[in-house]
Amino acid sequence: MKYFLYWGCSLEGTGANFLVSLKPACEALGMEFEEIEDWNCCGASVSYAGANDLAIKVLNARNLAIAEAEANYDIVAPCSSCYIQMIKVNHEIQEDPELLKQVNECLAEGGLSYKGGIKVRHIQDVLYNDVGVDKIKAKVSKPLNGLKVAGYVGCQSVRPYGEYDSVNRPVVQDRLLEALGAEAVPFPTKIRCCGSGIFLPEIDYCMGLVKDILEDALNHGAELISTVCPMCAMNLEMYQGRINEAYGTDFDVPIVYLTQLMAVAFGMDLKKDAALNYNVIPPEGILKAAIG
Amino acid sequence: MENMVNYNPSFAEEVFRDVDSGDEIKMCMNCGVCAGSCPLREHMDYPPRQIFSLIRAGKREEVLSSKSIMLCTSCYACVVKCPRDIPVMDVMHGLGHYALKQGYVPRKDTANFGKEFWNQVYKLGRIDEKDLPRRVFFAGGFIAGIKAMLNFMDIGLKLMLHRRMKLLPERKIKGVKSLQKMLDKAEGLGKGGAAA
Amino acid sequence: MDKKTAIYICTGCGIGDALDIEQLKEEGTEDFSIDLTKDHPFLCAQEGVDLIKQDIEGEGVNTVIIAACSYRVNYDVFNFGQGVIVQRVNLREQVAWSQPPKEEDTQMLAEDNLRIGCSQAKNTELTEPFKAEEEYSKDILVVGGGLAGMTVALETAKAGYQAILVEKEDKLGGFLGKMKSTITMPYKELSDPGAEDLIKAIEEEPKVKVYTSSTVEKISGAPGLYTVDIKSNGNGASERVGAVVQATGWVPYDANKLGHLGYGKFKDVITNVEMEEMAAAGKITRPSDGSDVKNVLFIQCAGSRDPEHLPYCSSACCLVSMKQATYVKEQNAEAVNYVLYKDVRTVGQAEDFYRKAQEDGNIFIRGEAANVGEAGGKLFVEADDELLGERVKIEDLDLIVLAVGMVPASKPETAPKIKAPADAEDADEDGMMEVMPDSGFFANSALNLEYRQGPELPTLKYGFPDSHFICFPYETRRTGIYSAGCIRRPMETAKAIDDAVGAAMKAIQCTEATAEGKAVHPRAGDLSYPEIDMKRCTQCKRCTEECPFGMFNEDEEANPLPNPTRCRRCGICMGACPERIISFKNYSVGMIGNMIKSIHVPEEDEEKPRVVCLICENDALPALDMAGIKRMKWSPYVRFIPMRCLGSMNLVWIADSMSRGIDGILLLGCRHGDDYQCHFVKGSELAETRLSKVSETLDRLALESERVKFVEVGITDYDKIPVIINEFMETIEKVGPNPYKGW
Ligand SMILES: Cc1cc2nc3c(=O)[nH]c(=O)nc-3n(C[C@H](O)[C@H](O)[C@H](O)COP(=O)(O)OP(=O)(O)OC[C@H]3O[C@@H](n4cnc5c(N)ncnc54)[C@H](O)[C@@H]3O)c2cc1C
Ligand code: SF4
Ligand code: SF4
Ligand code: SF4
Ligand code: SF4
Ligand code: SF4
Repeated sequence: MKYFLYWGCSLEGTGANFLVSLKPACEALGMEFEEIEDWNCCGASVSYAGANDLAIKVLNARNLAIAEAEANYDIVAPCSSCYIQMIKVNHEIQEDPELLKQVNECLAEGGLSYKGGIKVRHIQDVLYNDVGVDKIKAKVSKPLNGLKVAGYVGCQSVRPYGEYDSVNRPVVQDRLLEALGAEAVPFPTKIRCCGSGIFLPEIDYCMGLVKDILEDALNHGAELISTVCPMCAMNLEMYQGRINEAYGTDFDVPIVYLTQLMAVAFGMDLKKDAALNYNVIPPEGILKAAIG
Repeated sequence: MENMVNYNPSFAEEVFRDVDSGDEIKMCMNCGVCAGSCPLREHMDYPPRQIFSLIRAGKREEVLSSKSIMLCTSCYACVVKCPRDIPVMDVMHGLGHYALKQGYVPRKDTANFGKEFWNQVYKLGRIDEKDLPRRVFFAGGFIAGIKAMLNFMDIGLKLMLHRRMKLLPERKIKGVKSLQKMLDKAEGLGKGGAAA
Repeated sequence: MDKKTAIYICTGCGIGDALDIEQLKEEGTEDFSIDLTKDHPFLCAQEGVDLIKQDIEGEGVNTVIIAACSYRVNYDVFNFGQGVIVQRVNLREQVAWSQPPKEEDTQMLAEDNLRIGCSQAKNTELTEPFKAEEEYSKDILVVGGGLAGMTVALETAKAGYQAILVEKEDKLGGFLGKMKSTITMPYKELSDPGAEDLIKAIEEEPKVKVYTSSTVEKISGAPGLYTVDIKSNGNGASERVGAVVQATGWVPYDANKLGHLGYGKFKDVITNVEMEEMAAAGKITRPSDGSDVKNVLFIQCAGSRDPEHLPYCSSACCLVSMKQATYVKEQNAEAVNYVLYKDVRTVGQAEDFYRKAQEDGNIFIRGEAANVGEAGGKLFVEADDELLGERVKIEDLDLIVLAVGMVPASKPETAPKIKAPADAEDADEDGMMEVMPDSGFFANSALNLEYRQGPELPTLKYGFPDSHFICFPYETRRTGIYSAGCIRRPMETAKAIDDAVGAAMKAIQCTEATAEGKAVHPRAGDLSYPEIDMKRCTQCKRCTEECPFGMFNEDEEANPLPNPTRCRRCGICMGACPERIISFKNYSVGMIGNMIKSIHVPEEDEEKPRVVCLICENDALPALDMAGIKRMKWSPYVRFIPMRCLGSMNLVWIADSMSRGIDGILLLGCRHGDDYQCHFVKGSELAETRLSKVSETLDRLALESERVKFVEVGITDYDKIPVIINEFMETIEKVGPNPYKGW
């Protein structure tokens, strides 16, 4: 089970706890990772302000082309934004030979070419379909003992293609949480957008989105919210104070990555592996209580 | 009768021709499902469906200066739900891009943010998560920039304390020169219209 | 026929567990002379059926009473041929499955059901199929030679039957022949309408006889026995046919009534029909000056879906405008088409062509035209754009096409008027009032039937010949006469073809069934038919007026003249006749009366009320069965008597029941009104009307009117049945026992 791990820009910064926890947790399950040589940023969604559509496609095709030339591994992109940018370009190229030609014309400027043979996967996809729930369960040494977790899927990690999960009623994250011994609480806003890449410039509008999601998760009994996207994690965690000021609420709910929960349940080091100390709203207390 | 809208197909033709994914809206049947699924619809002056109606009617000014076309969070809700399989999000992005190119500023902060974002990608091949907000805040002038910066200081500090801010500036990727060549080529080949 | 009657009680399906079978055999049959009584644990299995067959062959049994499941199941298993009367008694759905086992009330119910069955069997005679003296014809007359009519004729011929096709124009083809191109399945692009090929196929088909420039002057007789007088090019001709299909199509809505859309005022405002004719003739130009056309606007629903004009949707005009927009673009690629619509209704797969029209860059505007005008030699339209929420103006138009809807050819141009009754509120100065053209007297001439109830097919409120569009498409209110194509409802060609095939098959079926003396649907295969004891007829005209299918003609003395092959065997005439002289071999006023009388009515002090439920066997009875299958529970005091149609209900049964101490009568029939579900069109409505007179009877007996109740139920209403029954039982409990008990 060898993959390219394309972690993108945020997993080196704001999403560091994702990357730090992902590596040991996944490697414990037998996954091996390789970095794409000299990868570049995916451009995220807001690049349209500065670039036309083709440029953004070429930006992503460069990573795909390098990977394709290196080895025949699937690319795992933990950041939803990276994932969606890459899988979208890949889909469009595969469906439209004209576009592939155009893209290659541009790649040729840097001596690259892409055939369209690489697969782009989400981390939830490989955990669920390649590793499987049984293998994960077998690895659990400190089950989360019914801890109530709201598995927040967000938008870009399943939409629009729904390659590995339903776009309207996703279940994969819940199944993975259950494998760790948690109770996945159902909550309708689990696929609602958090504001994603434009949260910062549109903070006044986007706070309302996050407020609704937090409220919904808590109303359904969640003690913790898990995510699989650095933007979701950032938006849901970092602005709780602002939201409390603006709406008179008192949110103080930890937001953790699914992979952090995995590291915890696999009995790994809470700091070194699970990177719990990276979280601004500390989840240790709740998690320690859960695993007993 | 003075303020009656005169139908004029020329703007629709311009959108079909020059805007990325613009020709997709021909297939819109005005059902409004996209508007219903859009998270920021309540803050939009015209939700996606209505933007398309305005294009059809020829209301160029209204469309290109509408803040809606830059309020898209890229959530793909509309893309998934549109019964006519229109990539509504791509159309919104295409329109946003086109509007900026044509000298309109539908949404100042997001426009600055997106432009800076792309500038960094272009210059470094990567994003510097520290530098980006700084540049965005200062795009509006020095004083305003300081204010905006201070406003978000708390968050930046917290991130830094929890090791979630890279302390060193992002370095260029090795192949940045060749990347730039590729992107330049794409900018020339693709749609999106020339600057006005 | 000397009856030798045997009863077979099935003890399977839980019946044996619910009842004391020995007691049932004894109590349930003591009032009748029964030759044999047996029970079997699994009567519908081969062994059970063989048991019955042995008795038929060995013992000479010719009347078999099967006390088991509903007669709606296993009818094929318990069929012992024409010479054996089979009577079913329901002990399963109505007893074992809906009542608590081994209780006194359950047992009493079963016994009553058996008595009712024995009584029915006793009163049933073997049916003998009706046979007319003249020879039956199986040829099919088709009136109208458009797409629908031509298809009916060809399908008829393909099935091996002779068709006679009468078209009033000098050429076949109808509107299909006038089209430039057609858009139809699979709705991807325009194609040749194919009228010429169809006409050629008809001309080469020996089994289709064509009369063009011809009309039907008169149709007399009845299914299987029609004589048709045709006026052909001024000459007369006569044909004998077995069934008729009317396919006289549609006419466009009169655009002269659409002055508000500029029609008649501006030469360049035309209808879709005029547009089609212009395109077919060669080039689309501006009628005003013959110049080229660049900007065209289509106004959809021109007069349609508008209570002032045509209240309904014609379902084809959206597609037609898209087709015509394609003509415009084919002629000039730079042309701009605007389509101003209320809703786009491209039904089913036709949506693909809507997509194509969008891809072609046609501009669809949702809104209504508010003003059509002219400026600088060009037309403009002001409209309320619903999606923009603003008034918009579309200028510089060369041509405006009004997408007008389809009116059935049968609908008279002006609403017919009749002399108003003295107390009518909506009479005009001349004492006349408008009527809905729903009776065959007012429709435009096409068939000229010699029927007492009028020369044309009765129509529904928009002038389309009535049909039960959900259950029985192509049917009309005249047995043996079917409608197909746009005369039945507005439709596009693909559906007209479906219609035509269906109607042809129905017509053929009718000629075959009629020749064997059998009824057509919904009592398909029924061999009974109404017989009248004319000696006692008082010429009251009730039967001739109330038969929904116009079975009776009349002589000068108002004597009813039956045409049995027109009859659908509903029994409505039987219910109508005040003299009770209309009856069937296996269904009569006396029989039902005796069935009711066979019910044992307990004394008042036993506190066991009895209710008779007259239940329509088309929808209400299946719903009751379904409630039983779902193991729902209801009062054990109700005795169900199935009716062919509630319209066959005769008031004398109510009087009889009441005077025998029955506490209440519940009538369950089909929904009536505009969206009627009555299989015989008017039956349940007539029953309710008749009931309004029942209060006289009740008053005479000094009984409360609540004792008789009519409830409409649909076939899907099984869950409501127990509620209806139990509510009625509460009412009966409240009004108390019938004082006539034990008299
Ligand atoms: C402008 C326009 C364009 C259309 N284009 C399309 C299209 O592209 N695709 C599509 O699927 N549908 C189209 N339609 C619908 C299509 O025309 C109808 O579905 C079709 O005509 C139905 O055929 P019909 O045989 O029922 O009726 P008709 O075509 O009306 O035929 C009826 C025939 O009966 C004859 N007749 C009438 N009265 C009598 C009488 N008393 N005695 C003897 N004969 C009589 C008439 O002369 C006529 O020949 C269009 C409709 C319109 C208004
Ligand atoms: S992708 Fe953009 S336009 Fe579409 S629903 Fe999401 S925010 Fe709205
Ligand atoms: S969902 Fe699609 S078809 Fe409906 S209004 Fe939006 S873009 Fe148009
Ligand atoms: S088919 Fe279209 S134009 Fe015709 S009546 Fe119906 S909605 Fe109106
Ligand atoms: S009322 Fe019914 S049974 Fe009587 S003649 Fe008419 S169709 Fe036949
Ligand atoms: S209803 Fe009876 S009495 Fe009246 S005309 Fe008919 S048959 Fe004669």
